[in-house]
Amino acid sequence: MTAASADARGRAVAAEATTVAGSGTVFDIGYQSYDGPREGRARARMAVFKDGVRTALGLGRGVRAKVLPWTFIILLVSIAFIMALVTGAMLRLGGPDAAAHMPSHSDFYGIASIFFFVFSAVVAPELLCPDRRDGVINLYLVRPLTGSDYIAARWLAFLAVSLGVAWLPQLVLLVGRVMGNPDPVGYLAANWLDIPRILASGAALAVYTTTLGMLVAAFTTRRAYASVFLVGLFVITTPFTTGLASEIGGTAGRWISMFNLSNIPVHVNDLIFNDVSGITRGAPARELPAWVRVAWYFLWVVVPGSVLWGRYRRPIS
Amino acid sequence: MSPVSDVEGEPVDPLVAAESLTKHYGDVVALDGVSFGIFDGITGILGENGAGKSTAIKIFLGLLQPTSGRAMVLGKDSSRSVTVRERLGYMPEHDCLPRNVSAAELLTHLAEASGLPPSRARTRAADTLRHAGLFEERYRPIGGYSTGMKQRVKLAQALVHDPRMVFLDEPTAGLDPAGREEMLDLVRKTHREFGISILLSSHLMADVERTCDRILVLQSGRLVRSGEVSGFTAETESVFIEVDSGREAVVAQLEARGVTVRVERSGLHVDGADESIYDLVRDAVVDAKAPLRRMAPRRRALAELFMHEGEEVEP
Repeated sequence: MTAASADARGRAVAAEATTVAGSGTVFDIGYQSYDGPREGRARARMAVFKDGVRTALGLGRGVRAKVLPWTFIILLVSIAFIMALVTGAMLRLGGPDAAAHMPSHSDFYGIASIFFFVFSAVVAPELLCPDRRDGVINLYLVRPLTGSDYIAARWLAFLAVSLGVAWLPQLVLLVGRVMGNPDPVGYLAANWLDIPRILASGAALAVYTTTLGMLVAAFTTRRAYASVFLVGLFVITTPFTTGLASEIGGTAGRWISMFNLSNIPVHVNDLIFNDVSGITRGAPARELPAWVRVAWYFLWVVVPGSVLWGRYRRPIS
Repeated sequence: MSPVSDVEGEPVDPLVAAESLTKHYGDVVALDGVSFGIFDGITGILGENGAGKSTAIKIFLGLLQPTSGRAMVLGKDSSRSVTVRERLGYMPEHDCLPRNVSAAELLTHLAEASGLPPSRARTRAADTLRHAGLFEERYRPIGGYSTGMKQRVKLAQALVHDPRMVFLDEPTAGLDPAGREEMLDLVRKTHREFGISILLSSHLMADVERTCDRILVLQSGRLVRSGEVSGFTAETESVFIEVDSGREAVVAQLEARGVTVRVERSGLHVDGADESIYDLVRDAVVDAKAPLRRMAPRRRALAELFMHEGEEVEP
């Protein structure tokens, strides 16, 4: 820095004071050079993560940005709440024998997974499409961030939101089941394993929908296109693969059934809870070994995740 | 790029240096082995569309990898260092602003994305928006801003983290004459009052001439000229002479004195910024007995100068 510019920076820091007779002093501090801490890449990643969470939930945005995410969140919690009410009513009216027929945590994803998929289809593109459409990504990538940092932070942001959306209704259901039981402590002691199962199955669902949602969003600047494509992917593959699998039958039918994208995380959910949910009960894929279904799930997470990372990767270390 | 000496004779390393920088896009050569250094101050990088200006800036920012050669920024190789970008700012030529957030929110977020802690980021955002003249409008969604206001937001986001060096890519694009002048004033103020060095890319000669201390001229990916603006403008200075009659006699008298004269319909142009030129013109007009109507300094546009440039000039 030359002496002249050093002087300029010094002058910029200096405060100008104007004394107004009898009324105090007005300070115009003007532009000041920044000599505080710079927290580098970690802070940059955190900033993109925080912004992703706020964007996904519409926080700090107008009412329109909040409508869709919160509608789905309220819907999913409402489903869990109704299931909790039904559980409580069955216990009160049907007695302990009714416990076997109560809606379970495993049942929840079977009932609500379609809403969860649509939530991901609608909200995930919001985190990527506008940044590319408006060119904001150019402002990120000239800061201490790589493309990999950016996409990892965005992916984690939507995963965090998805985990909340997956776990919150299950928490409501758990509280309902505990409170609805005449012996809440005894129920909790007998069913404490439900808690890690809820966490694990919610995580499996959230990782899967986050990865697929972000992948599709990474290939278009139009949010609506991504959402429609994702909804189509999740919804249309169900009748298509179900019909084809039952038509063909045998091993080939089982493998065709594996391409029902809505069922992939629900198979994992079934294995975690050691139960069968309503939507996988008749799926031929259920006849395949457990490890095949788990490996298939991981394939559908790792491959799309790698493609997503490759799409944003920059040649900078 | 070897160090040069500043006014006190101390060696000064360039803030930005291109060393045989080459960039190919398939068969298209965007930069062809250019070497130059950019020092403290406002440097203009001038050239027509496709000359390689934006490519050079993107390489310095690490957005593009050079095909060969090296781009050094603040002493670090831009293709290997991400952290150096904490001290760099960039104002892109094209749209880059979200529509549904306020300028205050965007700048706070981008200050954090540059590594500033959240509380400091908020303060910096407010200070920078005041500097850019948007303090009163800072809570309005950017989607409702005029083109001039959006350009100011683009400049503000490049400055919000107090960079050492800022790259401005066509900062006056899309602005009316008044907006252009205001933007160039802001650019000048950014360096002269706050000490932030600037590399300004433009295809508008007037913007560069009026704002910059030094100029680099790129043409078809090659550096054709570089130097102080004052050197360029000295070459563009001339004296304009208009006489009522005896024009040929005046030309003859001037040529007899060894002065090159360009004859145009409106009058005569004599190149040179030296004071002695005026004495020669006065004597020639007196000896030619021509009634002098007007004698005034004129400046040829830089564009006119570059039209006469050769293929390549060493930096």
